[in-house]
Amino acid sequence: MKQVWLFLGILAAGFGGYYFYDRPAELTVDYSTQVKPILNKNCISCHGGVKKQGGFSLLFQEEALGKTKSGHPAIVPFHPEKSSFIQRLHSQNPEEKMPYQRPALSPEEVKILTTWVKEGAHWGEHWAYQPLQNPSVPKGSWWKQVLSFVGIQSGWEQNDLDYFVRDAQKTQGLSPADKASKAELLRRLSLDLIGLSPSAQEFADFDKDDSKDAYEKQVDRLLKSPQFGEKWASMWMDLARYSDTKGYEKDDGRTIWKYRDYVIAAFNQDKAYNQFIKEQLAGDLLPNPSESDYVATAFHRNTTNNDEGGTEDEEFRTAAILDRVNTTWETLQGTSFGCVQCHSHPYDPIRHEEYYKFMAFFNNTRDEDIPDDSPYYRHFKEKDLGKLDSLKTFLRGQPAQVQKEWNLMFRFVEPKIHPHWADQFDNGALADNKYLAVRNSGSVRFKAVPMNGKAELLIACKNRGPAPTYLTIRQGTKTGPVLARIKLDTTLQDKYAKPKGQWVNGWAYAFFPMPSLPGKQDLVWQFQNAKTKPDETTVTIGFWAMLPRVPENLRASEFHTLAQRLISSAPEVTTPVLLENPSEFTRPTRVFTRGSWLNPGPQVARDVPAIFKASGIKDRLALANWIGGKDNPLTARVAVNRFWEQLFGTGIAETLEDVGSQGLAPVNQGLLDHLAYQFQYTFNYKPKAFLKYVVMSATYQQSALVSDKIREKDPNNRYMTRGPRVRLSPEAIRDQVLQWAGLLSPKLGGPSVMPEQPDGIWNAPYSGMQWKKSDGEDQWRRSLYTYWRRSSPYPTMVSFDAGTRDVCLSRRIRTNTPMQALNIMNDPVFIEAAQFFARKYPELDGKTYIEKAYQDMFGLPISAKKTGALLQFYDKMEAYYAGHPKETLAFLRLCPDNTVPAKPSRLVAKTLLANTLFNIDESINKP
Amino acid sequence: MNKLFQEAIEKEALLATRRHFLSSLGTGIGALAMGSFVGSCGTQSANNPSSLKIPPHFGKAKSVIFLHMAGAPSQLELFDYKPVLAKFDGKECPKELIEGKKFAFIRGIPNLLGPKATFAQRGQAGHWISDHMPHLATQADKITFLKGMYTDQFNHAPAQLLMHTGSARLGRPSMGSWVSYGLGSENENLPSFMVLASGGKNPDAGKSAWGSGFLPSIYQGVQCRSAGEPVLFIQNPAGVSSDIRKASIDAINAVNQETYHEFGDPETIARMGQYEMAYKMQSSVPEVMDISQEPAYIHELYGTKPGEEAFANNCLLARKMVEQGVRFVQLFDWGWDSHGTSKSGSVDWGLHQKCLETDRAISALLIDLEQRGLLEETLIVWGGEFGRTPMQENREGKAQDFFGRDHHTDAFTMWLAGGGTKPGFSFGETDELGYSTVNGKTSIYDLQATILHCLGIEHESFTFPFQGRNFRLTDVFGKVINPILA
Repeated sequence: MKQVWLFLGILAAGFGGYYFYDRPAELTVDYSTQVKPILNKNCISCHGGVKKQGGFSLLFQEEALGKTKSGHPAIVPFHPEKSSFIQRLHSQNPEEKMPYQRPALSPEEVKILTTWVKEGAHWGEHWAYQPLQNPSVPKGSWWKQVLSFVGIQSGWEQNDLDYFVRDAQKTQGLSPADKASKAELLRRLSLDLIGLSPSAQEFADFDKDDSKDAYEKQVDRLLKSPQFGEKWASMWMDLARYSDTKGYEKDDGRTIWKYRDYVIAAFNQDKAYNQFIKEQLAGDLLPNPSESDYVATAFHRNTTNNDEGGTEDEEFRTAAILDRVNTTWETLQGTSFGCVQCHSHPYDPIRHEEYYKFMAFFNNTRDEDIPDDSPYYRHFKEKDLGKLDSLKTFLRGQPAQVQKEWNLMFRFVEPKIHPHWADQFDNGALADNKYLAVRNSGSVRFKAVPMNGKAELLIACKNRGPAPTYLTIRQGTKTGPVLARIKLDTTLQDKYAKPKGQWVNGWAYAFFPMPSLPGKQDLVWQFQNAKTKPDETTVTIGFWAMLPRVPENLRASEFHTLAQRLISSAPEVTTPVLLENPSEFTRPTRVFTRGSWLNPGPQVARDVPAIFKASGIKDRLALANWIGGKDNPLTARVAVNRFWEQLFGTGIAETLEDVGSQGLAPVNQGLLDHLAYQFQYTFNYKPKAFLKYVVMSATYQQSALVSDKIREKDPNNRYMTRGPRVRLSPEAIRDQVLQWAGLLSPKLGGPSVMPEQPDGIWNAPYSGMQWKKSDGEDQWRRSLYTYWRRSSPYPTMVSFDAGTRDVCLSRRIRTNTPMQALNIMNDPVFIEAAQFFARKYPELDGKTYIEKAYQDMFGLPISAKKTGALLQFYDKMEAYYAGHPKETLAFLRLCPDNTVPAKPSRLVAKTLLANTLFNIDESINKP
Repeated sequence: MNKLFQEAIEKEALLATRRHFLSSLGTGIGALAMGSFVGSCGTQSANNPSSLKIPPHFGKAKSVIFLHMAGAPSQLELFDYKPVLAKFDGKECPKELIEGKKFAFIRGIPNLLGPKATFAQRGQAGHWISDHMPHLATQADKITFLKGMYTDQFNHAPAQLLMHTGSARLGRPSMGSWVSYGLGSENENLPSFMVLASGGKNPDAGKSAWGSGFLPSIYQGVQCRSAGEPVLFIQNPAGVSSDIRKASIDAINAVNQETYHEFGDPETIARMGQYEMAYKMQSSVPEVMDISQEPAYIHELYGTKPGEEAFANNCLLARKMVEQGVRFVQLFDWGWDSHGTSKSGSVDWGLHQKCLETDRAISALLIDLEQRGLLEETLIVWGGEFGRTPMQENREGKAQDFFGRDHHTDAFTMWLAGGGTKPGFSFGETDELGYSTVNGKTSIYDLQATILHCLGIEHESFTFPFQGRNFRLTDVFGKVINPILA
């Protein structure tokens, strides 16, 4: 036996420690489900990825079985009596006893560990890292299947997933609930698929439809609705940490709404999920990327920026990269990777340096925490598209690389050299942390700038005074050879710009020829302008760039003027994007000692953690392909778990953010794997087909009514014994109210809007930004379009648990607070909507109004008891306001439509009643 | 409604959504606290026999008032008296001090700047306090100074985030959230964590400075507004009286009661409790926020003028709040960033103005808490997010028109009072120029650990499981500053 062990040990070592041999069938204890949880709970905080007390760690197999500081291994497979790992659990000596200075393990836990060692201490892999397989559907005995097949005895199950649910229920002695009523079903389905409640007409139509596939027709109708994309984009916004502002301090605006439009369109087009991932992670690296491919990469440009004066751009560039790494892992892989930034993963087998190997995939994009969010895709105005075409025509016949670099310049104005590249300031400084500002006789150095033979210099500058500033560029040092003498003045700007003599965006963009220099060079820039006062800035430089020189005949033509005009033209809109550095700008990636960017350690190359056994992944695109590829064990599991959570309120594995060994194990792993397999292979990652599969199940169509007995046994509905009666998202709560009021704008996409919001919410320092209520229908758009400011998100979103989007958020933890009650009762948005709603029913008496309103909202008749309670309130209100005309008018004036009807007290009563209906459980929960 | 509450108590065992959430998230203090979370939501008082989730074994403080002077006040004009620095006023800063150092705005070699205030020793303790703070000078014997504070963040937003969330990056829960998560509220009609801002602006770190991060959003700070309604949406719409509101809540709850009988969802019962609580808050919040009923001598003491957006008003509000059982009151006062780029941003005139706005109210707060017997159980913390340089700022390499100092991370002063701290004490010392701490060096994490300690919370075991890791306010750092404890 020993020899076998030795052999295996050598083999394991030979495979770098990642050789997991199969578990022999006769074992009674399973590592992943029985042993690992005990280790995680009791041992690993001292013997894991952070600390390795006594030289003993339980994180990796070879460490666990290897020699400890004592010189002997702590675990001797097959020999618990020789394993101090086991013996010290029994020790009476407090210095020896494990867990050290903590309560002893339970006898049961000790038994599991002892048996595990006795059976050979076989290692196992956490479920989520095991390859995804298609579990067989637990359809029960063969005769039942036959009967079911020939239709003699049809069970509760509607499709395969139901068998998994039912199977798990049976193990707990549970049974499913009845089917929900048609109205409940339609409201649930509509809220789930498009985020909106059905209209009164839709309820009626469905109610009347007696055809066998009536429900399926509704599913198909909703899946085709353009509002489908809006609902699922809402989910994605939290994962993408989408925001219309940059985050820190003044929290200024960022134009990135085209990314949101991209996500909406992707869901509406039923884009395959792996393609969706690929475009977002690496759209810029696809062959001939389209505008949409570039916009998709804004996914990772939703990181925060810090524009605060005096901040170190490299610090916040690094912070953004780390965030991209963590977000990629959390949102797409359900793995908490952030821990590994400082040390090896405390619980899961991922090593410290593997974090940085992974970071290397993201560390070479052009963005550098620049206040203008460079690099960004310039969505040209119609009138500038012709210029682009002409320029391309001019370039035809030039070498491919030359064309490529100029086209990059036209579209992105990249690769820019930003002022923060400068050092050795003499009589000059970084002004406002953005621009290079110099005075007469000032100079700066740009160290090791990639020149690579490029001999066309583009400068964005502002000459501050009437007299020109003379710029001398020298090679190496202040006294080095002169490379160029340049006159910077107002004549630099586009001579075709109208009106003449005006700055374009305040900046002049101009080209200058330079000698061709190889490789990287230090350049010293010296500025002279004797006409400015000693403490006056003579010129500011926004950025500069080097381009390959085009032949003289092209230089002499209109090419340069046109290029200058296109580069200086203000685009229709811009979107920050990922843009991979040209090779000469490549940054090395180093391990940060204890996670601090100020302590760079050894350089590392791109790779994914060894546990995934994937090698040779070269770049971001290959990484995206791997994440969306068939060998990735996590992607489909994590995705279907998320979709499930959207429909059922809780994931099959509850911790959406972490399916690692410290996350909660899936309550029904067969179901999760079945769904993941279906999603990946049967539905080819198509969200619509997958969602249809789930909502067509009997599981989904259950009523929320449940017996006390079942509730007691399954209090949290983890076994899906009933319909998912969970609170709606803040988006849905506001949207449905606007919808009921007849206010909701159907406009799809576009820039963010500002609905009604109380004054004084926006109060960030140094910021001139104002909340300006949008005009017309834009104040009643879906909540997805509400302007998102990180330092002050929209109040309803804050009250109802939406987070701030500073970082990605995998699940919103639902709370139940008085602030939520106050929000729906008193927020002017809900008051206004209530009045608009009430005005739709001018003729009805109180009782009929209550019945009709309830029926229209929920598609169901209201119970007599509820009517009674509401009618009592209604009558009281009508009587009160009839005797209080002043209050009546004050209240009615809150609505823009303030025409006063014949019986104003009735309108107030109806409005207050509508608002009451907005607040009841039926409204804020899914049925 | 009593019957309803009775039922709620009985159903408490079924209030399992959160329980489950807790049990699933882990054990220990976090779970313990979260187990009573429903109580702190104010579902019913019977469910909330003691809001203290952590028995106060060693904590003397029940609540905290954190006075954050946003922008970072100059310790060199207020508390850290450096006569030697005065001698070298205008001389070039020694090269070895600035070599390899990064500053927010100082470039090249700046000149030293002597203290622009007159100092004297105050009280029995002999604390050096400048003439900028004459009122506080009379309270010197109540205060314990931390003169050796340091940080590693030299920009406002990250430094404020570090101070309040234990991380310079966005996304972590704030100290007040942690504390309300751990200790709950003593008054179920008021939020346990309230935030008051003055100086016309929110702090640079924005709402994240009182956000709940990955803790449930009920623990986020509730910002009281100086204009409009005191708390967002607490006021009924025009024409809707409190009685009308009560009637509407009764109607909502009557309907929900029926729904509860049908579906038996414990969340419905919890929600009914929240509507009751909302109604109570509608009177208790404006009440606590109303200082107009305070006697004249109190207004005289604080220098308060009802209806103004002023730091003094906020100090009085803070006293009222802790009196009412609010656990954590966070004040921010904006405008302490004395770079010397303007008169109001100078360390002489400008800083003095900020002191005029705050000095009297702060000392009033100490006096008032003491006379009410609350100082022992209320921890006061005063300070900024970092310190200021002993050098005159030379932004963009040129001299400023006014005396000003850049952001400084190596040494700054904070002070604490009450809540179990040692009165009339000073800990930590800087070198002769006030550049670095020479002994008694204390980090932001140490301060946080100490604040938690004063509340009876052991910072290393007070964790919340998130993303597979037990997070804590002090990350992996922090030591309680024992010498300053009484």
